[in-house]
Amino acid sequence: MEEYKIILFLCNWGPHTAYQQLQDDGYQIPSEVKMIRIPCTGRISKALLFKAFEMGADGVAIVGCNSGACRYGSGTLKAENNTEDTRNIIDLLGIGRERMRLATFLPDESEALKKFLTGFCEDLKQLGKSPVQPAGLQPVEASGESAQQVIARYDVYSCQDCGKCTASCPLALSGKAYSPRNIVSDIIRGNDTAEKVYADVHACLTCGICHERCPSDVNFPEFIRDMRCLLNQTRVSGERIQPHGGFFQSLMRTMTSKDIRPNRWKWLPKDIQVDPDSKILFFGGCAPYFDAFFKKHQQVNTVDILADALRLLNFFDVRPRLLEMERCCGHDLLWSGDRTNFMRLAKLNVEMIQDLGIETVITACPECYHTIGLEYEKNGISPGFTVTHLYAFLENAIHKGAVTFKPIPHRITYQDSCRMNRREEIIDLPRKLIQRLAVEQFQEMKDSGRSSLCCGNCAWTGCDAYSKALQVKRIRQAHETGSDLLVTSCPKCQIHLRCAMEDPFQETELKMEMIDLTSLIARTICWE
Amino acid sequence: MAKKISKTEVIVTGFGGQGIVLAGKILGMAAALGDHRESTLVQSYGPESRGGACCAQVIIAEKTIQYPYVKMADVLVCMSQSAYEKYKIQIKPEGYLITDRDLVNPDNQREVFDIPATRMAEELGRTMMANIIMIGFVTAVTSLISEKAAREAIMSSVPKGTEEMNLKAFTRGFEYGRSKLKGREKKAAGQTGAIA
Ligand code: SF4
Ligand code: SF4
Ligand code: SF4
Repeated sequence: MEEYKIILFLCNWGPHTAYQQLQDDGYQIPSEVKMIRIPCTGRISKALLFKAFEMGADGVAIVGCNSGACRYGSGTLKAENNTEDTRNIIDLLGIGRERMRLATFLPDESEALKKFLTGFCEDLKQLGKSPVQPAGLQPVEASGESAQQVIARYDVYSCQDCGKCTASCPLALSGKAYSPRNIVSDIIRGNDTAEKVYADVHACLTCGICHERCPSDVNFPEFIRDMRCLLNQTRVSGERIQPHGGFFQSLMRTMTSKDIRPNRWKWLPKDIQVDPDSKILFFGGCAPYFDAFFKKHQQVNTVDILADALRLLNFFDVRPRLLEMERCCGHDLLWSGDRTNFMRLAKLNVEMIQDLGIETVITACPECYHTIGLEYEKNGISPGFTVTHLYAFLENAIHKGAVTFKPIPHRITYQDSCRMNRREEIIDLPRKLIQRLAVEQFQEMKDSGRSSLCCGNCAWTGCDAYSKALQVKRIRQAHETGSDLLVTSCPKCQIHLRCAMEDPFQETELKMEMIDLTSLIARTICWE
Repeated sequence: MAKKISKTEVIVTGFGGQGIVLAGKILGMAAALGDHRESTLVQSYGPESRGGACCAQVIIAEKTIQYPYVKMADVLVCMSQSAYEKYKIQIKPEGYLITDRDLVNPDNQREVFDIPATRMAEELGRTMMANIIMIGFVTAVTSLISEKAAREAIMSSVPKGTEEMNLKAFTRGFEYGRSKLKGREKKAAGQTGAIA
């Protein structure tokens, strides 16, 4: 029988003494338990706890000191929160919340520790092996491509060295020593392996303003994406440039396991009607995971967007099907340079959706829309179904329908989504829909539409002080419109902007209420 | 119409130039040629044909119609305020009152089915097509004539080369009418908005 693997994060202080006592007493620590001695349970982040599962652990135990006995004060409390969030996340993933445990012991509680360890081992054997097949942290599969080929694909040679890209790049404008023009010329000169180039390639927000401005039509964001894929063939991109310890990349890699049975819809409110025979599928995206991860930190509530999207479909008599085992669309893996695992997710999703005989996929997430609707095909996976953005469905249904909108007692402004802004067929939709709403006032920010500013991050890659400065600038622009409600169309904008509003140095100055356009429509639409 | 009434009397009114008589003609033609029923059309001449209220009276029935004038209408379609004021007393208590929302401001005495037909026609690029949008709306709301018959009658009545546009206008009114009925049904069931 295959060996079980249990990772035991053991605090150096109280419980380690108990552990040693057990060893002194001649107790054989179960061989499946791999102990890692740590300075404090509070230092083991969600990313680290989760990484153990990603790498195939069947169970993870974090063992520390009793709440009042933490040497550093708040370590145990932190560990409790991290454990709770991790349990929620592995539960959503269908790995089973029981595989993650927290326990505390005083130095003299060796017997209790022994009971805990043997009990956990037995329980895990009841549960069976973890369904995760580690995708591995090794460099991604080589495509045999060279930097020259990537340059040629986007005709980067046609760069005129005019510098318009750098002059419009929000990162450069927020003071970072960063220049897309320099990246281009460095890579053309063959400096693609230099440390600085690697860092810069991963700092780009892939927002696309530079491409918008470039007289030679150099598609910089896509060039960057492919360069990331290329550079990461020879090295592990690692957490250094991935905020939150690389948690999200880790989560998405884990979803490539065929055998996991995610429960991503179990939170669905009772009033929502779905139909298991429908030929229309609603693709939700990763919102439930985001909410679970950010629960304590910034009260992100992006599943509301999904619920409201479904309510709007129901309002117009569409009862879609849901894909219980839906995986991440792969956007963030692709844009953080991991094409191999992106392809795995793409294949899994397309296979599952095709098996259900789905004809149309509707989604409310700009990244899912862009990825499933465009990137899958580009990467050689033909979906065989059409992909529609919820806004296109709504605009059509509202145009035809005898519907109206209840007054909204707010002055609003709108944060563009980068992915939506680069797709001609949907670029105007959010504003068309906003014009229909009965708001007190709609005022655009200084930078809006095609030259709109990014929310500060893309694909959980390269968040730093400069992107923070950019976010602060953006939120100030929102305040300058005199609005009291910021409307977004991408769940990530909510997350990143909310994060920036928490900036302790700005205190409450940046705070502003936010709502997704989907929710705003759902809450005010009514029959005439 | 839910219950099959053997005889339905319709008044379409508005001001001259809105295509009121053509609308009446299309309703009657659809009933007779498409749905194989009997129909009559009377258009009022008089001072109204010179810019004032204009009126078309249509009767649709299973049996031969002996008298073509309408006293009390089952369906009253009003496309101007003055027409509404003039004809509002000529509607049966259980009849349908149908108006152009932007042109008629009815007193709150009875249920109204309203549609911004003229505004929609402007959006489609031709104000003249408000009457066709109205036919679409009436067809959906009252089921007076069948959708198929209505489309055929439009095809054969409008100037050559404008069929496509007019059918589009019909669809616009028809879909809006359907949506209106659905909305009423949902409201009656207590579902006013998307959030329960
Ligand atoms: S804007 Fe285009 S042409 Fe100008 S420097 Fe940048 S990449 Fe080169
Ligand atoms: S995509 Fe955005 S962040 Fe990246 S170089 Fe262009 S403008 Fe700067
Ligand atoms: S801005 Fe976004 S990526 Fe950066 S720390 Fe905040 S939530 Fe994380």
